[in-house]
Amino acid sequence: MALLELTDVHVTMGVQEILRGISIAVPERAIVAVLGGNGVGKTTLMRAISGIYGITAGSIRFDGQEIGNTPSHGIVRHGLAQAPEGRQIFGTMTVRENLILGGITVPQGEISGLLEKSLELFPVLKERLNQKAGSLSGGEQQMLCIGRALMAKPKLLLLDEPSLGLAPKVVKQIFDLVKRIRDEGATILIVEQNAKAALKVADTAYVVEGGKVAVEGKAADLAKDQRVIDAYLGGAAHAKG
Amino acid sequence: MPDIFDAYFAQQVINGISLGLVYALVAIGFTLIFGILNVVNFAHGEIYTVGAFAGLLLIVGAAPPLLAVVLLVMAVGAAAGVGLERLAFRPIRRFSDEASLKSRAMREATLLSSLAVSIVAREVMAHVFGGEMRIIPQAALLQDVITLGPLTLTNGNLIIFGASVVMLGGLQFMLYRTRVGLSIRAVSNNVLGARHVGIDTNRTIVATFAIGSSLGAAAGILVGLYDGNIYPYMGFAPGIKAFVAMVMGGLSSIPGAVICALLLGVSESVATDFLSSGWKDLIAYGLLVVTLIFFPQGLFGHGRERV
Ligand SMILES: Nc1ncnc2c1ncn2[C@@H]1O[C@H](COP(=O)(O)OP(=O)(O)OP(=O)(O)O)[C@@H](O)[C@H]1O
Ligand SMILES: [Mg+2]
Repeated sequence: MALLELTDVHVTMGVQEILRGISIAVPERAIVAVLGGNGVGKTTLMRAISGIYGITAGSIRFDGQEIGNTPSHGIVRHGLAQAPEGRQIFGTMTVRENLILGGITVPQGEISGLLEKSLELFPVLKERLNQKAGSLSGGEQQMLCIGRALMAKPKLLLLDEPSLGLAPKVVKQIFDLVKRIRDEGATILIVEQNAKAALKVADTAYVVEGGKVAVEGKAADLAKDQRVIDAYLGGAAHAKG
Repeated sequence: MPDIFDAYFAQQVINGISLGLVYALVAIGFTLIFGILNVVNFAHGEIYTVGAFAGLLLIVGAAPPLLAVVLLVMAVGAAAGVGLERLAFRPIRRFSDEASLKSRAMREATLLSSLAVSIVAREVMAHVFGGEMRIIPQAALLQDVITLGPLTLTNGNLIIFGASVVMLGGLQFMLYRTRVGLSIRAVSNNVLGARHVGIDTNRTIVATFAIGSSLGAAAGILVGLYDGNIYPYMGFAPGIKAFVAMVMGGLSSIPGAVICALLLGVSESVATDFLSSGWKDLIAYGLLVVTLIFFPQGLFGHGRERV
């Protein structure tokens, strides 16, 4: 049984039904990618899993328990943390405070150990611990955002467009870290516009269109799928090169 | 023109510091709540009055030592703050997404609901306790005179000073070193981020009201005992002054609000050298207008942390 299992999930924002029956399975210790164009509801999906938005129908099961419509603070305590779209770091607070807040749901005694582990993964943050988070570069902020999520000791880490707006070199660095985090025992669900980079690290992938899953399969197969290539991998030009 | 270095002037500065510290304690409640919800809590002045009356009832009923009075009043204030949040703020906060927590509609609705609660609370107190001033038992007053050379202080000056320093220090400790405090600052800074790390925003908002209100209530009883009168409308003037201090301080900067509150208290006190005391309220409004015209972000508002 998968660690996270969404079955026929519907989400309505206002009068608009954004997710119209999405089903996704994330097996333990896998990296699963969700791809899709702008505005198809990828972030809505991530927020529904994290309990920021409620679901109107369907089920979200995590670790054998139904978690649909659980408030966000309950979700994090279940072992599910997210590095959200737009990073949402606490810009006026220090890097250290951001990380400590990431661990607000774990017992106080574990914080210093977790902090050390996060800093080992993201050494750039070490020299900036007492700096305001808002003064970090975009790449550093993304690392802080992921480091903050890891402070919650998640079994499942959700990443919403971690590569957005970053230089190719930093994108590679982040994806290398994603692999490393998985190898150290976490499971990862990643939403990406950068389909090429995402399909390279992912085991399985889903393409979302019109609030539903349009294509799903092994990441390696999707990378060869003509529809995916046309829509998300830069079309024919890329397929040749 | 009076010699501004004379003892009378020093005396007024000392009185002004006490006054300013009281404004600061009240302003912190405004500032914390504004930081977290972007709204002005119009009922905050009534919390101050509730604190004063709660303390008076305690003194008349049981005459506990001052420290116990202040601590119990803070507890009553915290409870009143929690009740206020339930009554005037939470029912309007129906949606829990980040957009509506600080939305304009929310701001306007809570402006009115908190104003309504403040009017009801004030009138109920006037009805129960009578509109006129209450006599405070002599022994409880903080008016024992202490002479220091040419200066005359009362123990009230010292107690207000000491209590405020302890409370402000405690508040800073709480905001920077405890999980509740970090959560308050996190929600003030980024609600969505706060929810993603697993902070219960409702609980954090309740904690903010409790903390801000306990300081406001403590200020109420301290001033009541220092001035020697407690009455249902006593929260109005300090409420306005604290509001001015908050705006001058940049709306959601605690250090800014404290500094501006002290500035305001000292200016008012020193101005009685030049103005008859009936005019002293003009100082606060004057400073407010000057601030809004020349420093629309507040004196400390620019680029500072919200809480
Ligand atoms: N709080 C909200 N209220 C109303 N509509 C919303 C809300 N959040 C999202 N939507 C709408 O839902 C749709 C999907 O948005 P979402 O942010 O999930 O897309 P996305 O796939 O993450 O897009 P992008 O790739 O640009 O990040 C959009 O049309 C958006 O306008
Ligand atoms: Mg998105």
